[in-house]
Amino acid sequence: MNIAVVIRQVPDLIEPLEIDASGSALDLDSASFIVNESDDHALEQAILLKEAGGATVNVVALDFGNVDDTLYAASAKGADRIFKIPLDGLPPPPRAAAALFAEAIKPLQADLVLVGVQAHDELDGGVSPFLAAAMNLPYVGVIRGVKAASEPGTISVCKEFPGAVMARLKVKLPAVLGILGAEQPPRYVPVSRIRAAMKSTQFEERSVATSPSEPLLSVCRLYPPASGSRAEMLSGSETEVAARIAEILAQKGMVK
Amino acid sequence: MEAARPIMWNVPHGAEIALYVLIPLVLAAFAAGVAWRIRKWFVGQADPAEGNIRRQLLRQFLTGLQPRRLAEWVRTAFFQSRLKSDGFSLFMHLAIFWGMLVLAVGTALATVDQDFTNLFFDFQILRGFFYKWFELALDLFGLVLILGLALAAYRRYLVRPERLQAARTGISLWDGFPFLTALFLIAVTGFVIEGLRLAEGFHIETQVAAARDAGAKDRAMDEMNLRERFRVGRERQDTQLARIAQGGPVFPAAAWAPVGYGLARIMRPLPLGAIQAAHQLAWWLHGLLAFGLIVAVPFTKAFHLLSSPANMLLRVPTPPGKLAVAAESGVNTVRDFTWRQLLQVDACTWCGKCQEACPGHAAGFPLSPRNLVQAIDSRLLRTPVKGNGDTPSLHGSIVKPEELWACCACRACEEVCPVFVQQPRLIVDLRRRLVDQGQVDEGLQDALMNFQRYGNSFGQSARKRPEWAKTLGFPLKDARKEEVEYLWFVGDYASYDQRAQEITRTIAKVLHLAGIDVGLLMEKEQNAGNDVRRVGEEGLFSMLREKNLKEWAGAKFRNLLTTDPHTYNTLKNEYRGNGQSGGEDADSPLAGKQVLHYTELLDELLRQGTLKLGGSLGCAVTYHDPCYLGRYNGVYEPPRRVLQALGAELVEMPRHGPHSFCCGAGGGRIWMKDAPGIAERPAENRVKEALALPGVECLVVACPKDLVMFQDAVKTVGAEGWLRVADLGELVYESMGIPVS
Repeated sequence: MNIAVVIRQVPDLIEPLEIDASGSALDLDSASFIVNESDDHALEQAILLKEAGGATVNVVALDFGNVDDTLYAASAKGADRIFKIPLDGLPPPPRAAAALFAEAIKPLQADLVLVGVQAHDELDGGVSPFLAAAMNLPYVGVIRGVKAASEPGTISVCKEFPGAVMARLKVKLPAVLGILGAEQPPRYVPVSRIRAAMKSTQFEERSVATSPSEPLLSVCRLYPPASGSRAEMLSGSETEVAARIAEILAQKGMVK
Repeated sequence: MEAARPIMWNVPHGAEIALYVLIPLVLAAFAAGVAWRIRKWFVGQADPAEGNIRRQLLRQFLTGLQPRRLAEWVRTAFFQSRLKSDGFSLFMHLAIFWGMLVLAVGTALATVDQDFTNLFFDFQILRGFFYKWFELALDLFGLVLILGLALAAYRRYLVRPERLQAARTGISLWDGFPFLTALFLIAVTGFVIEGLRLAEGFHIETQVAAARDAGAKDRAMDEMNLRERFRVGRERQDTQLARIAQGGPVFPAAAWAPVGYGLARIMRPLPLGAIQAAHQLAWWLHGLLAFGLIVAVPFTKAFHLLSSPANMLLRVPTPPGKLAVAAESGVNTVRDFTWRQLLQVDACTWCGKCQEACPGHAAGFPLSPRNLVQAIDSRLLRTPVKGNGDTPSLHGSIVKPEELWACCACRACEEVCPVFVQQPRLIVDLRRRLVDQGQVDEGLQDALMNFQRYGNSFGQSARKRPEWAKTLGFPLKDARKEEVEYLWFVGDYASYDQRAQEITRTIAKVLHLAGIDVGLLMEKEQNAGNDVRRVGEEGLFSMLREKNLKEWAGAKFRNLLTTDPHTYNTLKNEYRGNGQSGGEDADSPLAGKQVLHYTELLDELLRQGTLKLGGSLGCAVTYHDPCYLGRYNGVYEPPRRVLQALGAELVEMPRHGPHSFCCGAGGGRIWMKDAPGIAERPAENRVKEALALPGVECLVVACPKDLVMFQDAVKTVGAEGWLRVADLGELVYESMGIPVS
């Protein structure tokens, strides 16, 4: 089986975020980037499939920030080929990014495309369904685990619905899957293996051109949440606290 | 009246011939067994820092011959000095060892005497005065041996300590039974043989005395075939017979063997025929038991008679804090260990003292260092010497991951081991393989990922590292920008944990008041990697180390200071040279610099008079020795001297100094979930130990992790308000006249 995995870098929320001079975007130069968590699960799922029944794992990523570190780690985990898409400047918004990924993946003739179902920078929609649309392939999202199916040309997936309802589906290949979680959490890669991968891994460059698309939405203003002092700590006996809650709710017009 | 050891008294010629046939067979079996076992050690690797095994062995042997090493070897191997903290075990073991040794040497001497000097030169070394003392010594040491065996039996079958039992590895109270019984029977039959021989002597003397005249005496002696019974030259036979004919004793040294003599007096009433038959029977029993024991030595735990002293002789004494790395990517099969580690494993005496000292075991975690060592050893003994590539992995059924992760790397086991087994190093080498395979505990994985990404285990931004210093009210220098006397390497817990931060600030104030010139690396400090290394993430440790060394290279400072014993250990022992074979590297940013724990600095300041304390604490406190300060680096006295200067009355816990009991945070355990089967956390166990001390109100610590661990434990055991957990720095600050807010 030929698997393509999309890996994205997103701003690390542990580090302080800054807004750039325009006031409508993050200052990405000062941000540090981290692998998108559900993409990391997509990669883990691909490696698990490879270990279970043999597969070629192709990783596709946009070339910016410290993506190399993430890609060396992917190689150390067992990715077979790694493709970097060169960028002029900063990464495009999700829909445009999906088009880039689609162009880069098409020549790979992948049976299965795995991509994280969400990322915290997806302003105008998720990359995963856009990618399926751009590749004209069937799509199933919110997947928690993928297994080989007995019937050739299909794969068995576990999809999560709201309320933690799970369904096992049989999906015809080729297809795009939006991964929420792999069958097991992403594995730990020791530093020595990453360092070995740095010596042995050759990245392949894949330049792709797409017609620019209009963003579906534009940001007017980006600002940190204003901190107020609206919290009121209630104290006293249970009866007093209950009475005060009822009073507040009445004041706010929430109960009559 | 010359006494000499009787040669093969009452032993038929056939039996003597059988003995001569058996001896070479026994020795050959023994030698083959020993060779079989020794060759197993060398399925291991050469030490990575040294050349091939042959050269290493030669060099090691020559080092072992240095007077200082030799004296240590005699102390530890022949006088079992490592048992000195356990008087009962020491006495019992010395009694068995010396009893056995003296009897064995005596038997060897007797063999030379009868089968060499007497046989070929008609001359005995065991004669006269020397023979008498020989008899006395052997009798007394026979008694000593029996006493030792009685003590062993008392401990095994009446006291029944837990450490001598294990469900998994065939270790039980009965494992030593055959060996101890055989030794006991050998000692007892030895005495019985002696007693029967002397009893027969009494019979002969009575018969000779009963004869009326010289002719009758000669006839009586002839009837008893007395001349043939002395298997010595004609001339010496004459001397013996003449003495007996004159009414002298058959065995003139009889009274020099008090036990045999006493037994002879008791057995004297038996008929002569019975005495002779019983003597031959006991003689065979004694011989066969001894032969059986000799042949069994290489195939039983009695082999520690050879392997333990060998390990003591061939070990390399290195600083405990400097971890040697057997295999970069970890140990998978026994062949991946070094030969020295395999020798250690084979030197284990199953005594279980490590298990008794192990905080993981006490907590109910699935770890016993002894069982682990034994599991590796039994695998080793089943490993063919010639490598065929399919040696089974140690991981899984032989050593379980939860066992390896339960270790706190506190070194209590290694400290207490009588034969210098380094259990924590075996564990770290095995852990390294699990890490290499990505098999890590969930909490540990988070911590390691955080180290990779942020340089700290808290998953916090590096920029927040120096934030604790913002509320100090005075600035701390940035050592990257201006020269400082002490570069304060703060460490993760002291920087990021809220409670530990309080202490960090307090210590900063103490240093400020004492006028000490300190500075920080600010956000560029990375975790020093002590525990990262001990969970087995060697590559990550190297990475952290490189980053810190690089920052130091750009900073100007005279010495390094830290409050964290874990940081202290690795900075002191593993940052110089290349971290492995640690010669001082002149280019190293550490060259010529000291690494100090803050308790050492406070002690030094008190000594110089730079720091003056009120000495008014006046309450009873107890002090917990942090593993990495005490056991790993021998810093026991400086914190105690500071306590003394504070005017505190120090009440020691039963487990203190080198026998301090770990809080349970070491070896990366602080990042992991509680191990399965937990009964009582090590920190709770320790807090209860402090609570049991009469009048003690305060448990003093000198480690940020201890503070957090023990404060939590005080809450979980419900002792809040009973016991204060305070850092030494806090007490010093209070004593300087300003109460901690």
